[in-house]
Amino acid sequence: MLENLFKDLSLIYPEIIVSVTLLLVVLFDLIYDKNKTIIPYLGLIGLFAALFYSLGSVDIETHAFIIGDTGNKFGLLSLDPFGNYFRIIILITSILIIFFTKSSSEIHSISERSGEFYTLLLGMVLGMMFMVSASDLIMIYISVEILSLSSYVLTGFTKLRDRDSEASLKYLIYGSASSGIMLFGMSLIYGLIGSTNIYEINEVLQTTSINSIIYSFALILIFAGIGFKISAAPFHFWTPDVYEGAPISITAFLSVASKAAGFALLIRFVKVTFLADNIEGNWILLQGFDWQNFLIIISVLTMTLGNFAALWQDNLKRMLAYSSIAHAGYMLLGIAVLTDQGLLAVMIYFLVYLLMNIGAFYIVMIIANNIGSENINDYNKLGSAAPFLGVSLTIFLISLTGLPPTAGFISKLYIFIALLDVKMIAVAVIAVLNSVVSLYYYIRVLKHMFINETDKTVPEIKVSLNDVVFILILLVPTLILGVYFSPIVDFAQAFLSILVN
Amino acid sequence: MLTEFGKIFVFIILAGAFVGIAIFAAMLIRPKRPSHEKDLIYECGENPEGSPWVKFNIRFYVVALIFLIFDVEIVLLFPWALVYKTFGFYGFVAGAIFLLVLFLGMAYEWRKGDLEWARPKINRLELNKLLEKKEQQVS
Amino acid sequence: MEVGLNHFLTVSVALFALGLYGVVTRKNAVMVLMGVELILNSANINFVAFSRFGNLGINGQIYALFVIILAAAEAAIALAIVLNIYKTFANVNIDEIKNLKE
Repeated sequence: MLENLFKDLSLIYPEIIVSVTLLLVVLFDLIYDKNKTIIPYLGLIGLFAALFYSLGSVDIETHAFIIGDTGNKFGLLSLDPFGNYFRIIILITSILIIFFTKSSSEIHSISERSGEFYTLLLGMVLGMMFMVSASDLIMIYISVEILSLSSYVLTGFTKLRDRDSEASLKYLIYGSASSGIMLFGMSLIYGLIGSTNIYEINEVLQTTSINSIIYSFALILIFAGIGFKISAAPFHFWTPDVYEGAPISITAFLSVASKAAGFALLIRFVKVTFLADNIEGNWILLQGFDWQNFLIIISVLTMTLGNFAALWQDNLKRMLAYSSIAHAGYMLLGIAVLTDQGLLAVMIYFLVYLLMNIGAFYIVMIIANNIGSENINDYNKLGSAAPFLGVSLTIFLISLTGLPPTAGFISKLYIFIALLDVKMIAVAVIAVLNSVVSLYYYIRVLKHMFINETDKTVPEIKVSLNDVVFILILLVPTLILGVYFSPIVDFAQAFLSILVN
Repeated sequence: MLTEFGKIFVFIILAGAFVGIAIFAAMLIRPKRPSHEKDLIYECGENPEGSPWVKFNIRFYVVALIFLIFDVEIVLLFPWALVYKTFGFYGFVAGAIFLLVLFLGMAYEWRKGDLEWARPKINRLELNKLLEKKEQQVS
Repeated sequence: MEVGLNHFLTVSVALFALGLYGVVTRKNAVMVLMGVELILNSANINFVAFSRFGNLGINGQIYALFVIILAAAEAAIALAIVLNIYKTFANVNIDEIKNLKE
């Protein structure tokens, strides 16, 4: 039993490294409270170590932390390439976000509390890393809560304006209610099936067919919790308010990493729990709950609501929030097709989404540092005042729209290929129409930046060398991957396999 | 004939009926002479001082929050204590790590001064401003 | 009459419904959070009842323990945030706190 424990602990070194880093940050904050500038670097060292370890453990495919009798085969975590891929995405995002916070004036204003800030940030990372490999309902709940609790506090951490604490309260209320509802759904599943392990649930479902209202009800309740994390349509109300009120670095983190963790959780839950058979990459799901139509309805609703609401937004953070809702809709389509091709599309999409979304938020942050506003009307003529920022933002927004020759085009293309493979033409047409709608609000920003005249004097925008380097790190791949995209496809392909029964 | 819970149910009904009948009987036969003295809140025979709806100092909440967390985390030690013997030394190490993390949290609270019962940091001026703001909202 | 699984489930469903009702209708943030606690505890009752009456071993009871601890952590953070809201807005009514436009 103990040998198993040590073996399992050796499988989750990245998680252990992040936890130890978290404790070290707390300890460091306690002991040296004179100099806080080292703390982010301490976090960076831990995250880089975890990233290198994750990149090195590609082949691991096993169950870990088996509880109960020796006869049990399935544990609390299942470690496989798919989970590792999302773990890598989360770690890369968090490393970028730490650099992001270093140049954010909002975070500088609270530098005396930066120990707590980075502790909570690492707490979020830890929760997400467990989320992507959790294979037991209770582990799913605990990891979601670790993520949520840290992010509630971080949302209102700066307390610079009234809206910060308001965003925090809204996130808290929506978040705690939806996670409570998810837990109730889990308890019903535990009662109906007699197990909380998703592999055991799959085994039970394969032998006995459960087809009752309570079963569907419980699954919808569980989806409410996951749907909240990925901001899918009926559970998306928190997103614009929280994204607008939170510090920009946290907004960027929530929009990429938290969403990635939620998607990894949803994919693992759907594929492992309900898979009956896998014929040449097409997942045949068990009877009882129609995941395909359910997910299609949710995703069409999500992208349409997100895109149309974004049309009327004047605050850029709020607009990007609605745009991130719309992107969640496209990604949900990749799951709804229920094929390995769709899974590949989602994985590629996240890698690209990471680059372009963090890039767009970073530029909004630099401009907000200088002019103190995120309102689109204050952006007039900024393109000529800071041509580098203007051109970079243009490229990121074109990539978010999904036009060639940017990486955003490739990611959307793969989603459409996956849709056409299973003959979902109507859904594909809706998705294309949505992209056309999204073009309007992205172009509107560019119109303000380059064309609109302003009677005010155009403020000077200071761009430091660090900013240029950071933007180029995100910008160059966004452009290159738009033309030469086989590396990311190969990279994602290597991590495609999910551990199933 | 009656199950265990049936007996309790009967007991509950009887208890309720007893109180109800006593109050009803007292209502019928008592004299009715209401006065101001009778409406006062009972404070051991003294005249009451101030409103009963006092606002507690905000630091009670902070201390309560800290207490809540540490109090509940200890629950996790019960199952650990049950299986302590089967795991021997490693069980001890696991528990020690858990307690160490908790201790780190407590040291943090201590160092950051959240356990101190000093004077409130919010000054009189700010408090008055807040109260004015609230009055404006009420009116 | 023996107290069985159905009795526990009735209580838990009632708690869940009351909690959800509180979350949806209450204006006071603290009341909303109490509704959330009711939802969590209804799930706890389910876990314990299923593990006791379904002969599913002790797992369900351990899960309830974890949920209690997470609920406490959540309550602590929630009350801290509500305290912060009170300092900023001088009230804790959700529908009066709307600087962020809908």
